[in-house]
Amino acid sequence: MRLRRFLTVLALIPVLAWTLFPIYWILTASFKTELSLYAKPPQWLFSPILENYKRVLFNIPFFQYLSNSLLIALGTTGGSLVLGTLAAYGFSRIKFWGSEALRFLVLVTRMVPRMTLVVPYYLMMLKIGMLDTYTGLVIAYVSFAMPFSIWLLIGFFDEVPIEVEEAAMVDGCTPLGTLIRVVIPIAAPGLAVAAIFAFLVSWNEFLFALILSGPASKTLPVVIAGLTTDLGPLYGEMSAAAVMVMLPNILMTVILQRYVVRGLTLGAVKG
Amino acid sequence: MRTAQTRRWYLIPGLVFLLSIDLVPLVYSLGVSLFNWWLVRPQEIRFLGIGNYLTLAADPAFRRSVVVTCAFTFGSVLVELLAGLALALLFAQPFRFLRPIRAILLLPLFVVPVVGATMWRLILHPDMGVLNYYLGLLGLGQPAWLGEPTLAMVAIILVDAWRTIPFMFLVIHAGLETLPSELYEAAKVDGASWFQSFRYITVPLLTYIMLLAVLIRGMDAFREFDIIFVLTGGGPGTATETIQLLNYRVFGLGHMGIANAVGIVTLALVAVMCFLLIRAVLKPR
Amino acid sequence: MNRMSGVHGESRGKLRARGGIVVGLVLALLAVGLPAWAQTKTLNLSMLAGFKEDVLRANLPEFEKRTGIKVVVDSAPLGELYKKQLLSLSTGARHDVLFMDEPWVPALAEFLLPLDERAKGIDMPDFIPTTVAAGSYDGKQYALPVDPNVQILIYRKDLLEQKGLKQPTTWDELLKAAKALHDPAKQQYGFAFTAGTDPQTPLYMTLLLWSYGAELVDSRGRAGVNNEAGKKGAEMFMELLKVAPPNVKNYTFADVNKALQLGQAAMAIQWASGAKPLEDPSKSSVAGKLGYAVPPKGTRNAPMRGVWNIAIAKNTPNQEAAWEFARWLSSKEFGLASTKYPSAISAIHSARISVLQDPSTKAALPYVDALLTSLRVAKGRPRLKEYPDIQEHMRITCSRLTAGELSLDAALKEMDAGINKILGK
Repeated sequence: MRLRRFLTVLALIPVLAWTLFPIYWILTASFKTELSLYAKPPQWLFSPILENYKRVLFNIPFFQYLSNSLLIALGTTGGSLVLGTLAAYGFSRIKFWGSEALRFLVLVTRMVPRMTLVVPYYLMMLKIGMLDTYTGLVIAYVSFAMPFSIWLLIGFFDEVPIEVEEAAMVDGCTPLGTLIRVVIPIAAPGLAVAAIFAFLVSWNEFLFALILSGPASKTLPVVIAGLTTDLGPLYGEMSAAAVMVMLPNILMTVILQRYVVRGLTLGAVKG
Repeated sequence: MRTAQTRRWYLIPGLVFLLSIDLVPLVYSLGVSLFNWWLVRPQEIRFLGIGNYLTLAADPAFRRSVVVTCAFTFGSVLVELLAGLALALLFAQPFRFLRPIRAILLLPLFVVPVVGATMWRLILHPDMGVLNYYLGLLGLGQPAWLGEPTLAMVAIILVDAWRTIPFMFLVIHAGLETLPSELYEAAKVDGASWFQSFRYITVPLLTYIMLLAVLIRGMDAFREFDIIFVLTGGGPGTATETIQLLNYRVFGLGHMGIANAVGIVTLALVAVMCFLLIRAVLKPR
Repeated sequence: MNRMSGVHGESRGKLRARGGIVVGLVLALLAVGLPAWAQTKTLNLSMLAGFKEDVLRANLPEFEKRTGIKVVVDSAPLGELYKKQLLSLSTGARHDVLFMDEPWVPALAEFLLPLDERAKGIDMPDFIPTTVAAGSYDGKQYALPVDPNVQILIYRKDLLEQKGLKQPTTWDELLKAAKALHDPAKQQYGFAFTAGTDPQTPLYMTLLLWSYGAELVDSRGRAGVNNEAGKKGAEMFMELLKVAPPNVKNYTFADVNKALQLGQAAMAIQWASGAKPLEDPSKSSVAGKLGYAVPPKGTRNAPMRGVWNIAIAKNTPNQEAAWEFARWLSSKEFGLASTKYPSAISAIHSARISVLQDPSTKAALPYVDALLTSLRVAKGRPRLKEYPDIQEHMRITCSRLTAGELSLDAALKEMDAGINKILGK
């Protein structure tokens, strides 16, 4: 056991170094002036400046863009979880003629390049007047996140034995109630991953946000892209913005990751 | 059974939503790809039938981009799957200290791809970057990471891997977590080694999850744009110009007909790839 | 089910409806008795994100106060702006006014409002003549110049002095000077530019081709690159690679500046607007040591002109308000105000002679003389709808040339062939 622990730690060191270095670099870049970013030898320790953060927060309506991103991401997560769970449950429990084909069809959106989809989306949204609105983007993002959510949840729902549901229904639960109170908690890790995924899809997405949004619904990735000016990336501001953009993601994952572990204890249900 | 009937209804909201949102643009794209439509000269739209597709098939730049895209997709998915699997197995051990570390490992997923790629570009910069500075100190020379065709491909796979390994790890890890521990205990009682239980319990049960991860990752890698665009812009020359980068160029100039044809071709290629993958893995089950 | 966006979308929709009724009532009331200035018009502006946007935003309140016109700024990064404007104009989505780069004017002209009549009411002679040409197409004026840019030569006065060299006026002189100052062991390089996939690369190549007398598109409307003159230009381009920083094939526009700022490059050709950060001591170690001049010539001086203009969409319902805005943006007062804007990254230069010769401008922009002289001899890119395609083709071909995929002769042939194909010849 001891040896295992030691080896594990040993293996983790390069992994963590590799994962964290660029993030550390971004973090420090947000506190550095641009010139010191190129210093040789590279500066690991230095005296931080707050200019970059100040410029990002006050030169543009950053908080409005942040709340845009947040609301759209929450909408996406909610929408794809609800629609996805229902669809996945349906696929998992009923095998009907054509369900295989339908399942495959669901994946089709992920096969088309985003660029190709963007113009028809743009025209659709233009016709129904949803350009530069939250709803327009949420609709697009839910359609991006759903295929993966559906497939993932199908896998997790398949692992929930039918006896458990039947037992619940014998106890007087409605089918919907069984889904909510019995199946979902067992498949929680899958839902957590699907939620994280949907949130990230929405949060980090750039192309659709660029084309479909306008001043009112601009999201953070578009703002960050705008920091790559014609004179090159403003590393300081970009890093500051990226750091601030990371924080809600981290918060959400910390909250959700507990559910990813829950499966361990509930796995005892099988037997 | 009545319950089965009710459950069928569950499919409806999700599928209706998805299919209406997705199929309409798809049909539109297909339609546009049959025309010669340039946004700058809207009065000169002509029906071409499969004309655009023939142009693409004859275009050496397009053919090359298909090769580049396949190389990138294969390379990155392979690296990411193996690394993700290895990490997930590492984290399957019941050590307390692993919990907080797991959250740290997910960080690259939270960095907006454009920023991550920009930072990596800075790190990989041959003259001004950190990596080469230390490589130089160690006497390992200063490779032109983004200036040479093979190295550039390695670099983009590297950065893509940095960004996506956490995702693979997360998915496989979640899958592992739901595996019932009794199976392993029973196997141990029966005297199975770690490797045997890995081979006969873990792998079969994980297959679905890994297939899904590879599928999703493959589809995304095939369509990857942001990272490659920021790091190399398709260069040097056209060494890292994937189908999407070519698409971007064509689109950006307003050539809707050809651009949509590229999109449809991408769809076809990815669909074939997925179909083969699913067949290969799920059939033997 | 989709609670979040459902409720949100619903309440927003209701809000919009209510808002619309209120606004409608107010306007109706105002229309009855009060003077026109009490009615607020809103303009949708498509703008370049970044510092130009900052300068604009800083001065917008002044405009809004004076005219009562509200301007909603929809900005996009440089790489995406053309696409967004093309899409918006061709589908009829509403941008009323657009801040656009000159190569796009021919392509977008058919969606723009001709301004010739209205232009008679403003002081046109105050604009440097070539900048006005940047906004015209096919004999009509579609845009007013706001921010002229031109390629200039930037060099380290101190380094040249050390070696007793004078400022180069021809490409041969520049090559000689660059060789003298090129010392890779000390991380000193002669000349910085971009030679890879960066969008600036074809512009450097074009500058060289022009300098020796070649044309991208000749007077007969065919490609004019693959000839003696073109070959000389391309050869010089390849020669310059040898005295450039080693990573020049992966350089971007920003890296050229970096090379200068970090003291690594002795000379560079750069857009004038890129010069401002070089004089900022917090970013640049060479502030104060730089000299500026017209780019060298081969057989002629042909620095490339790049003017940012303001144009009005043809289908805008707010023509008068849009014209007010366009007038203001290209006016002397905005020009002066923008040079005073404390941005150390970039500037809006104003195309008006009165602004560029103003003493306050000279103080703010040390390179303004080079800017003026260069503008006077600047050459514009072919005014064709196909130009963006041509530039793309040049970019890929140049990048393949420097990557070794094509030989020099093959590259020149490829450039010509591609241009002719694009032009349908």
